[in-house]
Amino acid sequence: MDLTRKTLSVEEHLPLKPAQQLALLLLAEGPTYGVALMEALEERSGGAIRLNAGSLYRLLASLVDDGLVEPTEEVANPSGAGAPRKLYGLTSFGREVLAAEARRQAGLLDMARALRLLEGS
Amino acid sequence: MSGPPRLLRVLLCLYPAAHRRAYGQEMWAAVRHRFEAGRAEGPSRLRLTAWTAADLSWSAAKMWTRGWRGTMTGMTRGWGIDLRFVARTLRRTPGYALTAVVVLAGAVAVDAAVFSFVRGTLLARPHYPGADRIVVVWGSNPVDGQLRDVVSGPNYIDLRASMRSLEALSAFHSDNAILLVDGRPTVIDVESVSVDFFDIVPVQPYLGRVFEEGDRSSSAPQIVLVSWDYWQDVLGGDAGVIGRSLPLDGEPHTIVGVLPEGFEFVREVPLWRPLRDDVLAADERTRIHYHLFGRLRPGATPADATRDLTDGLAAIRERTGQFRGWAMLAEPLHEASVMAVRPVLVSVAAAVTLVLLIALVNLATLFRIRAMSRSDELAVRLALGGGRGRIARVLALEVGSLALMGAAVGLAVAPFLLARVREMVPLWIAIPDSAARVPVLRAVLDPQVALGSVLLAVVGAVALAAPSLVTASRRGGAAWAGRGGTHRGTRWLVIAELALATVLCVGAGLTTRSAERMLATDVGLEDEGLLTLYFGDVWERPIPGQVAYFEDVVRAVEGMPGVASAGLMDYVPFEGEDDFARIYFLDSDGEELSNLREQWRRVGEGAFETAGMRVLSGRLLEPDDFRGTPRSVVVNESFARKHYPEGRAVGELLSTHNAAYRDMRVVGVVADLHDLGPATPPPPMLYVPLQGDPRGTTGMFVRVASGQPLELAEAVREAIWSVDPSQPVDAFVPMTELVGAWVAIPRATRSLVSALAAFSLILAALGVFGVVAYAVRSRTAELGIRLALGASPRRIEREMMGTTAVLVGVGVALGLAAGALAGRAASALLFQVRPLDPISLAGAAIAMLAAALFATWLPARRAGRVDPREAIRAL
Repeated sequence: MDLTRKTLSVEEHLPLKPAQQLALLLLAEGPTYGVALMEALEERSGGAIRLNAGSLYRLLASLVDDGLVEPTEEVANPSGAGAPRKLYGLTSFGREVLAAEARRQAGLLDMARALRLLEGS
Repeated sequence: MSGPPRLLRVLLCLYPAAHRRAYGQEMWAAVRHRFEAGRAEGPSRLRLTAWTAADLSWSAAKMWTRGWRGTMTGMTRGWGIDLRFVARTLRRTPGYALTAVVVLAGAVAVDAAVFSFVRGTLLARPHYPGADRIVVVWGSNPVDGQLRDVVSGPNYIDLRASMRSLEALSAFHSDNAILLVDGRPTVIDVESVSVDFFDIVPVQPYLGRVFEEGDRSSSAPQIVLVSWDYWQDVLGGDAGVIGRSLPLDGEPHTIVGVLPEGFEFVREVPLWRPLRDDVLAADERTRIHYHLFGRLRPGATPADATRDLTDGLAAIRERTGQFRGWAMLAEPLHEASVMAVRPVLVSVAAAVTLVLLIALVNLATLFRIRAMSRSDELAVRLALGGGRGRIARVLALEVGSLALMGAAVGLAVAPFLLARVREMVPLWIAIPDSAARVPVLRAVLDPQVALGSVLLAVVGAVALAAPSLVTASRRGGAAWAGRGGTHRGTRWLVIAELALATVLCVGAGLTTRSAERMLATDVGLEDEGLLTLYFGDVWERPIPGQVAYFEDVVRAVEGMPGVASAGLMDYVPFEGEDDFARIYFLDSDGEELSNLREQWRRVGEGAFETAGMRVLSGRLLEPDDFRGTPRSVVVNESFARKHYPEGRAVGELLSTHNAAYRDMRVVGVVADLHDLGPATPPPPMLYVPLQGDPRGTTGMFVRVASGQPLELAEAVREAIWSVDPSQPVDAFVPMTELVGAWVAIPRATRSLVSALAAFSLILAALGVFGVVAYAVRSRTAELGIRLALGASPRRIEREMMGTTAVLVGVGVALGLAAGALAGRAASALLFQVRPLDPISLAGAAIAMLAAALFATWLPARRAGRVDPREAIRAL
């Protein structure tokens, strides 16, 4: 780990960007490997978050560096050929950050409801 | 759709290595997946390739900047702690800190002072609009040795009519006029310029106007322009001054304009008056009198103007049959202004560059020793997990703080140094309107000078320290662990420093010896106790009246108490004046053999004796020679050698172009007057008795019996006015001052180069001291054990001295060789001193050896006094 990088608190990670939040939510369902995460992001966002290899691994690298995600284990490539795949899973700190973001958004949702902004939409 | 193009894989190389190692394979798998998924549906292969390529490149760039941001954040953390640490460290090692600051301050001060002076003179440009297009125009006759000569009025008028590459050409004459102040005649400096002058040097007058086309003819009213200072100081800054009249040379002149504040050209004068075209045209064509200044057309070069004007002169030659062998020469104004001072400035700039090099090498040695002596500390810090970046930062911070302190002290000292440089280099050899006027503080704090010096200090120091810092921070103690390679680099630095300082000492020796030879040159007269002055302006009297007046004045002055004798010479030597006559050499029957233009002077009775000029053969002019038509003349040594090489000048016959001086016999040969400076061969000179055709104004020598010549100035003025109170008297200058001015340049070079050499000597000694002191400190334990085992302190001292003596010997030998080469390259600047002058070389070697060995002896002595118990306890 790079010792010169400052460790951020939970609050300092907020608000999460849409791609970060969705990636963390997907990883909260269980560890997965990069390509599967790439597909799931596109599918679960309805095509709104369509990452290519460069952007996906930049996202993953930043989540790993910030301690939100960690590589868990390597599994054999299902095709039987090629290098084994690395699985990424949510860390407990990542779970805390995700929960905090969810609470933040719930608060916003409550405000929107109190203002009846969601009615009729 | 098939797999992704292999080109995309190359793009993975753009990522930082750590990212590539962690995710490279997976990224490529994801790219392949994209392309395979796109087989059934989705974008075309081309679009997908472009999208993937853009994504990979953009993400790679973001990864790098993310890395830098992280590094920067890390670097900026803890600055305060590091700065406090550096301050504590430097307080603990005051000797090192002080030496580094002093060396840097010295280098910055010398650099800022000397380069601001050089910048204000050699590199300065006059700040008139379009000054780079102003040229000085000379008549030039290389065969007669007249490379730059003034021009006659009619030639100026004809050349002006034929010019093609010049927009304007102006005649210019530095003159003086008589102004009556409180009924007493006063000499006042005047520039007489043709009307074109203000087309060449455009000026917006403060009041009124400058000269115009209507002022060209002498039928126009007599007018004058006044300088801003004269208007303020003498005319009281009166806003209604335009139209007022000044009684100049006995005629009223109307003031038509006040020049702007600070305006000057060549010199500062109170009054400017127009030269009339018809007067210029009517003058004698051989009476050369005027400096010419021209303004080049856009795109034209001085060489174009030289060619055009030489063509113009050829046309004059064809028409008149005169000026054979003459051409014209146009050169940029700036070049002409700095011609005299260029050698001194170039040699001083070279010396300063050497000093800077020595200072930089000195710092490199210092920083290296410092890094070496801290190797244990650094090794411990690395072992305890100290980051290399952090250690490098602390070391760089230390060097940077020293550099900034050095730069600040240097800039604070520089103004005093600049003031001293200006004292050493007399103002008259600097461009009058720039260098000398700018206050020293402003000159030194000029952004280019100050920033340049600070950058030099900081960048130079950090760059020099960098190799040592990098090695130290990477490997800590291991870097300097081995004895063999440890000191080799340092030794070479010391040798380089000693060699450079020796070169400068050789240069100082050569310039000092050269200046001494110049100062010791026999100038041809006794300058001590001799007062010079000008008086007269009796042109309107008939010649016998003038002669009688001048005789009366000499008698009146010689009758004064405190005056030993007095004599007249139309131009006072060492004033830089030229006056030429055409001389006809005759055989014993009075038939012309040949003729040539040479300088001549009209002298009065007792002039040679008063000036202390020595007769080499024949006799001086006697009282009878000053009665009636001149029949006897005296020539100088150079004249005799040039025209009578067989050595029999006395008794020869000659005539001049002037009808009053015909068929005269040479009666004596006098010693040359070196009045063009000791380094310039004196011109051949003919001395004729004054009574034939005296100049209406003449110079005078007064030999005082005792005391300072200037103390008699007022009394001499009164004595001259006792003969005729309407005659002006001016320019009282002791001859020592006139002679001194000619040796001012070599004297200034000697002072500056010697001061720089002394500084370099100190720097080199400091370098040697540092290295030996470090060697003693790092071997304290070893020395202690040896002393405990019975080694004699004297032997230890000798050993330390011996090791350094080799370095000193090699450095000085290399320096002497380089100094001899440098001396050869600069031989044109030397006077009667050979580049391989043994005294200069030996002097430099002795000075360097003495300084270096003294610098070695101080720490070596400590080596012999190491306390064995202390040394062993410290192990």
